[in-house]
Amino acid sequence: MLQQVLHEIETANGPVYYGELARKLGVERSALDGMIQFWVQKGRLRRNVPPGHTDSTICGGSCRGSCPGPNSCPFVMKTPQAYSIRIQE
Amino acid sequence: MTASTNTFDNTPFVIDYGPDLEDAISQLQERIEATPKLTQRYPARWLAIKLLEEDNIVSANVAGISGGAEILTIASQYIANLRSKYGEDVDTLIADRRYSWINHLVREIIRQGGADEPTTSDKIDQIVTNRWLGVPIFMLAMWAVFKLTTDVSAPYLDWITDVIGGPISNWALALLALVELENSWVASLVVEGVLAGVGGVLVFVPVLMSLFLALALLEDSGYMSRAAYVMDRLMRMVGLHGKAFVPLVVGFGCNVPAIYATRTLENRRDRILTGLLAPFMSCGARLPVYVLFATVFFPAYSSLAVFAMYLLGILVAVLIGLVLKNTLFKTSETTGMIMELPPYRLPTIRNVWSSMWQRTKGFLHGAATIILLTSIVVWALMAVPVGGEGAFADTDIDSSLFSRVSDLVTPVFKPLGFGSWEASGALISGFVAKEVVVSTLGQVYNVGGPDKVLEPTTFLEDVVSIVTSFAQATIDTFKSIPLILGIDLFGDEAQDAPSELMTAIRTGFEASSGGRGALAGLAFMVFVLLYTPCMAVVAAQRQEFGAKWMWTSVIGQFVIAWLVAFAVFQGGLILGI
Repeated sequence: MLQQVLHEIETANGPVYYGELARKLGVERSALDGMIQFWVQKGRLRRNVPPGHTDSTICGGSCRGSCPGPNSCPFVMKTPQAYSIRIQE
Repeated sequence: MTASTNTFDNTPFVIDYGPDLEDAISQLQERIEATPKLTQRYPARWLAIKLLEEDNIVSANVAGISGGAEILTIASQYIANLRSKYGEDVDTLIADRRYSWINHLVREIIRQGGADEPTTSDKIDQIVTNRWLGVPIFMLAMWAVFKLTTDVSAPYLDWITDVIGGPISNWALALLALVELENSWVASLVVEGVLAGVGGVLVFVPVLMSLFLALALLEDSGYMSRAAYVMDRLMRMVGLHGKAFVPLVVGFGCNVPAIYATRTLENRRDRILTGLLAPFMSCGARLPVYVLFATVFFPAYSSLAVFAMYLLGILVAVLIGLVLKNTLFKTSETTGMIMELPPYRLPTIRNVWSSMWQRTKGFLHGAATIILLTSIVVWALMAVPVGGEGAFADTDIDSSLFSRVSDLVTPVFKPLGFGSWEASGALISGFVAKEVVVSTLGQVYNVGGPDKVLEPTTFLEDVVSIVTSFAQATIDTFKSIPLILGIDLFGDEAQDAPSELMTAIRTGFEASSGGRGALAGLAFMVFVLLYTPCMAVVAAQRQEFGAKWMWTSVIGQFVIAWLVAFAVFQGGLILGI
């Protein structure tokens, strides 16, 4: 099942989203989330969060890329939570 | 959700890991059971599984126990055998079996109201993220955004223009007269520098607020994630890195965070490529320029003209991306990705307001700092006479240092139809921030100077006029909303007369283009869209990618902008447009 999750992400022609994959593999979304986290821990998936950020919020302006919070940044935007296959160096 | 009732017995809970794993576990378990020091501390099966999983803490503890080293050696043999058979780490094989068991168990005992049936979000997504419908729906959403920013915000734009040009200018001049400075250079600084410069940009606050409102609605409803998903697929179809679209979507708000958002890309080449493409996305700062020029030259199609600029930005980014991907950045395979699409929901007033206000505050902060400073510098350069004509702050604008310096680059823009020192000067100062293009145009066309004759009014009359015109603008805004759907509730009501700045721009562009003002105006919009990014973006590019790529972007974008604007103007002339 874990392998299937990784295989589906690797071979999909474009991004896949949680609901779509959960339905395709017949797994609960919460279980799928656990599987994604497993692959993140194993280093096979990578959470798409820029260095210096704790979540998928992107900041700009004087923050120079690190996001102390919406009150300190002139431009803040939430981006979708995403994980991608880690390229083997 | 309901759970079925079950009768529990006392059988120890055991997951069946499959024949090969179970074989390894039971053999290792036997060896562990033969080592009393270990069984005193750990259950044998549990320890066998932990050792096969290569649990660092447990392995370290076992190594310190008599007989433990031998058990670790045996475990490593089983691990090697299983890894060679399955080509995967044993902990992954174990986790896989556990997840299969969990999933089976969940499916057995939990009945969720139609767990396999698509939710409302899923049903919407089947249309919104559809392979064929996704992109047209995204374009439609963008179209609605630009109708909102141009048509719906127009009444408030007119209101602020009147307030700044009327009561605020009145009050500023009255205050200057009070301290007997109405005929000094201070009056020139306040009226021609601050009011014309910063005021010229502030009138576009309603436009930007509309854009930020639309972005906030799209974000909070959950659609923005779908837009990234849909466009990601499109990017891949044309051969670009799918993940690049998230930074590019961010670029619609501001290019600076878009540059930083490239950090989400793993490969340096992909990061640089996306960082070079991000400035082609039309940021909010360019919107005032588009709205101003679209209103001047294409009043009946202003939304379409603004929308076209955004589409052109995407198109140029895709084309440049394809060229670079097949030349300088010929590498990297695309990687798979999984995205969390939040369920659709009704946007909350609190979230939408917070997001809109944060961004508007950022724009106002820019107006109070960098735009103010640039306006003062431009005013100072316009106040310095060249060639001994006039005195400081009392010189003909055509003989000012600013006009002479701007005039040096005017020949570059002549083939594009806007070879005047006014347009050149605005583009030079636009390097500081794109909205400064508008503030500089307000200054160089010298509308509302200190000599401007304002109708004398009392303070009370001014306040009443501000309040009543605001109320009228609010009514007009509500009447403008159906314009998004093409329904005009204004009927034959008289349209507002063009402002002084608009008239001055039209006259100036007609003169510099030999009577082809609209074509020159379109070329100018295209140039502003594509030319050298603003100072803050350039600094971010230098920080993220180094000086070499920063200069590539600065020079490359200027050349691209020149070529495309040239094609627009000269092509239009050839076609007789």
